[in-house]
Amino acid sequence: MIVLVGLNHKTAPLAVREKLFAGCREQENFLADLLGIDGVREILYLFTCNRVELLASIDETPETMKMLRSFLARFGGLTAEEEASCLYVYHDDAAIKHLFRVTSSLDSMVMGEAQILGQVKEAYRQALAQNATGIALNRLMHRAFRTAKRVRTETAIAANPVSVSFAAVELAKKIFGTLDGKKTLVIGAGEMAELTCTHLVGNGAEDVTVANRSQAQAEMLAEKYRGKAVSLTSLDAELCEADIVISSTGAPSYVVTGDMVRRCLRKRKNRLLFLIDIAVPRDIDPAVDGIENVYLYNIDHLQDIVDENMKNRRREGLKAEQIVVEEVVQYVSWLKELEAVPTIVSLRSKAETIVRTELEKASGWMDQMENGNREKVEALVNGIVNKILHAPVTVMKEESADFDSQSIVAAARQLFRLDD
Amino acid sequence: MTSVEMKFFVVALVSCSLATAGYLLSLVVKKVRLAKISTWILAAGFIGLTLNLFWGGIHSEGWSSFGSRYFLSIYAWVIACIYLGLQFRTKTRTLGAFIAPCILMFLIAAAGQETDKNLVPPQWQGWLTSLHLALAIAGEGLFVLASAAGAMFLIQNRLLKHKKPGPLGRLLPSLGDLDRINHLGLLWGFPLLTVGIIGGVIYAVFVWGGQWLADPKVLWSLAIWMVNGFLLHQRLAIGWKGSRMAALSFAGLIVFLCSALLIRFCLATVHNFI
Repeated sequence: MIVLVGLNHKTAPLAVREKLFAGCREQENFLADLLGIDGVREILYLFTCNRVELLASIDETPETMKMLRSFLARFGGLTAEEEASCLYVYHDDAAIKHLFRVTSSLDSMVMGEAQILGQVKEAYRQALAQNATGIALNRLMHRAFRTAKRVRTETAIAANPVSVSFAAVELAKKIFGTLDGKKTLVIGAGEMAELTCTHLVGNGAEDVTVANRSQAQAEMLAEKYRGKAVSLTSLDAELCEADIVISSTGAPSYVVTGDMVRRCLRKRKNRLLFLIDIAVPRDIDPAVDGIENVYLYNIDHLQDIVDENMKNRRREGLKAEQIVVEEVVQYVSWLKELEAVPTIVSLRSKAETIVRTELEKASGWMDQMENGNREKVEALVNGIVNKILHAPVTVMKEESADFDSQSIVAAARQLFRLDD
Repeated sequence: MTSVEMKFFVVALVSCSLATAGYLLSLVVKKVRLAKISTWILAAGFIGLTLNLFWGGIHSEGWSSFGSRYFLSIYAWVIACIYLGLQFRTKTRTLGAFIAPCILMFLIAAAGQETDKNLVPPQWQGWLTSLHLALAIAGEGLFVLASAAGAMFLIQNRLLKHKKPGPLGRLLPSLGDLDRINHLGLLWGFPLLTVGIIGGVIYAVFVWGGQWLADPKVLWSLAIWMVNGFLLHQRLAIGWKGSRMAALSFAGLIVFLCSALLIRFCLATVHNFI
């Protein structure tokens, strides 16, 4: 039985998540302790800032499930109330579906984010290193990674940026094609401007100039990008050089006016100019947007793009849910087949034992056979046994994949006296 | 046209039709993968057309078999060659939605032409005429490419200016890439057309005397040359870029096509090619 116990950002407030995260992280031999719980066959745990989850293959006993739950609550220092309201327990199809949704980033705070897949892979790698997983979880995890890959390639869930700073980078790419060698001017040293600049530089933009009222702050930020710091008075000259301008000062009036941009058009030889105004109140005169080859986006424009992209992600999420359902059905079918496997193995081994015993009994007269005839008789006997076993083995596999395997497996064990 | 040559031509025509449909569909369903597949189909068509022209070349009987079909096919070949060549350097797959229909138009026109129609009268045949034709076709092909990039620039520019890049904006190439293609089209197209026209003029002065000056196609070519020369000058010397260049190049293409049709159907010309 597959079981998943845990909590996430939807069920638990940050304070509870923090407590559980810290409590579990501090434990040494966490996996070994978990494997020591009665009935736990395979296990792995996933810790991220938004979720703490245990995934296990266990013997079918309600006690094991309860013990896993209380184990987590105990190490996290959760109160009984928190345990009841925050922890969830899924089993079988629901647990598999939840895992596939998590890995495919359908359960993430920002749907479609790429980080979670890496975190799940890391959790699996740790469990593998400590031999905490076996056939059921190994197969389950590979299926989960496959589902995540399908979701990424068959839907556009991660296609468009859903943060303001990434939206700005995407726009810059749509304007310039490549950001390699593009000159960036940062006006003001706000956090948001810094984040946007970091993303731009990460995508190839270089030659960063920081203009700020406080020279010290400008120098500090410029040093981070190995750029130069200038004062706000030299803004006119810097505007002529820049390709991308990010502005986020606390100034009460416009820092960049239409006239300033118009004045430097000739010097710029009409090069494309992308202005990102993330300040409130605005830093850049909206009239600038009317100038040819100049593209001005303020915080609302960027937020509109982000909202639109979020809407698209949610739409793509519906397609992704369908993929998850398909993959769950396939895995559950394989898992059910697995339940019949021990019976099939016992049946085959019993048949082999019978063949071997009977051949030994007959060895007296078979030894008198001419060259090669003994092998032919042995092959014939094996062939007959395999043919007889083929039908019950196939039926057991098929039945157990489609329906509950218990009745057919029990019948087979009784018919062939496998438990004697 | 031999049967082998015809087969290659059919491959080119069918591939180009499929590529055109694929490119246009990619704009409708907003999937760049469709445009990528269409680029490969167009490349297959280009190979078919190359083989068609090569086969025609080695089995030709010289000038007497150089008909309108070849002229139009070479036009299509040059545009396809430049576009596909650019795909190695820029990720502008969807530009094909504008280029492929142009190529298809030339191929369909070529399909309707007789191959054995003697395009160039015997007294005008010679290496100078070949040079004139080849360079003029290449130059005009590059102008078509520059204009197509300009048209796409205008659409992308509008989307970005209205703050609604959306799925179409994501699909279309960036403004920078489109402006670069427009620049390259003008930069290479203008000298090629210039040398082509000079070749034609030298020939005409010696063979025709003064009558060529009044030919509508000569005047039309001169007008195109001047318009594109002006655009190139403004780009290089004054620094015109972006939307203004895009709009003027696109307007130039419309005038180019309209006047080509007008001359073909309404006026008598010694350049009776299409």
